[in-house]
Amino acid sequence: MNLISETSKKFQKELNSGTASLVLLGVLDRAKESMYGYQIAKLIEAHDESVQMMKQGALYPVLRSLENSGLLESHVDPSVSGPPRRYYKITKSGHDTLKAWIQIWDQTKAFVDTILEGNENV
Amino acid sequence: MFEGVDVYLDQLRQELKGCDSALIQDALSDAEEFLRTALTNAKNVNPNISEEEALAPIIDKYGSPDEIASAYREIESRISPSLTSTVPQRDRSPLIKLLRIYGDSQAWAAVLYLVFSVVTGSIFGLWALLGAGLSLCTIFLIIGLPLLGLYLFSLRGIALIEGRIVEALLGIRMPRKPIFIQKGLSLSKKLRLLLTESLTWKTFIYLVTRFPLGLVYSLGLLILMAFAVKFITYPVLGPVFDRALITLGEQKYYIVIFLYPVVSLAGFLLLTLTLHLAKFVGKQHGRYAKFMLVRKEPDNDQ
Repeated sequence: MNLISETSKKFQKELNSGTASLVLLGVLDRAKESMYGYQIAKLIEAHDESVQMMKQGALYPVLRSLENSGLLESHVDPSVSGPPRRYYKITKSGHDTLKAWIQIWDQTKAFVDTILEGNENV
Repeated sequence: MFEGVDVYLDQLRQELKGCDSALIQDALSDAEEFLRTALTNAKNVNPNISEEEALAPIIDKYGSPDEIASAYREIESRISPSLTSTVPQRDRSPLIKLLRIYGDSQAWAAVLYLVFSVVTGSIFGLWALLGAGLSLCTIFLIIGLPLLGLYLFSLRGIALIEGRIVEALLGIRMPRKPIFIQKGLSLSKKLRLLLTESLTWKTFIYLVTRFPLGLVYSLGLLILMAFAVKFITYPVLGPVFDRALITLGEQKYYIVIFLYPVVSLAGFLLLTLTLHLAKFVGKQHGRYAKFMLVRKEPDNDQ
């Protein structure tokens, strides 16, 4: 039982490493204004009540990596109630990349579903 | 259970031991931003809840220090600082190694940094010195202490900007977020914290030394490059404009035509070596900037 839960955790972690970037780009693409880490984490949490896909703290390094690749841009603003916050916004290149990633995601999802449902004419 | 945000941050710092100090600073400010925001919200909902009780579910969702440390390590291993070359350098002949510098983006970025460092250096140095002078002159007036505080904060801001330039052009990982100073402290406590922290003074020294260093970097590099370009183009431009190869006071030195290719070659060699020198100096300066502008974490060997 433990082995299953360990391997499941590992599987979830491996999946997350790819999907986290897609999810974050998707969230910021729909956002009307720049968002900071806590806001993004809360928004994802609202869609993810049953099972937590990934730790909220793990979103921050992904945000930074997306910014480093030019897909997001950010600025730091002081906050009234705490430390300064870094606000993220999607770039034009991020928007275009998201379109391409969604296509890849759809193809992958369809492919995996077909295999799992046992259709041999993949 | 964590008694407070600081306890969590201490443990996260422990877990990140041995990592790049700039990464540690980023990870700590990310965690601090999240945990303090979440804590404030939790206390708004239930004002009687203790910090420890409120933090437990927040940290459960945010991730334990070891989980967060491993997330940062994993992502960081995939990112290389902006212009750092990640292509492995295979052993080739010394001549190819020497000439490869022309395709090395890091060398050209270092040239850019060094050439403009007289401009940035004079702005940084002037601000550091003028601000210090103004703060000292007004220290006994009512506006003295707030002015000193503002000045010291501005040094942090400038250090962050310089850090971003250093990372982009010299490829040395620097902090991407400002250092957080706890809210709720009185102005005098904040000032005391700033004044007693060695980072503040190291930043001040760095910004002051940036001007003479910038002057040496920019002038040195421009002089070397000017000589190199003159030598390379001498066979064409020398005879056309009747220019001497070297002029020392009243003495003008020309060379015979059959040695023109040698002069061009010498110029090309000088340009090549200048690019190597720029890359080397850029790297050393990046290390110096990191030493002076990034908070030193204990047992950090990078």
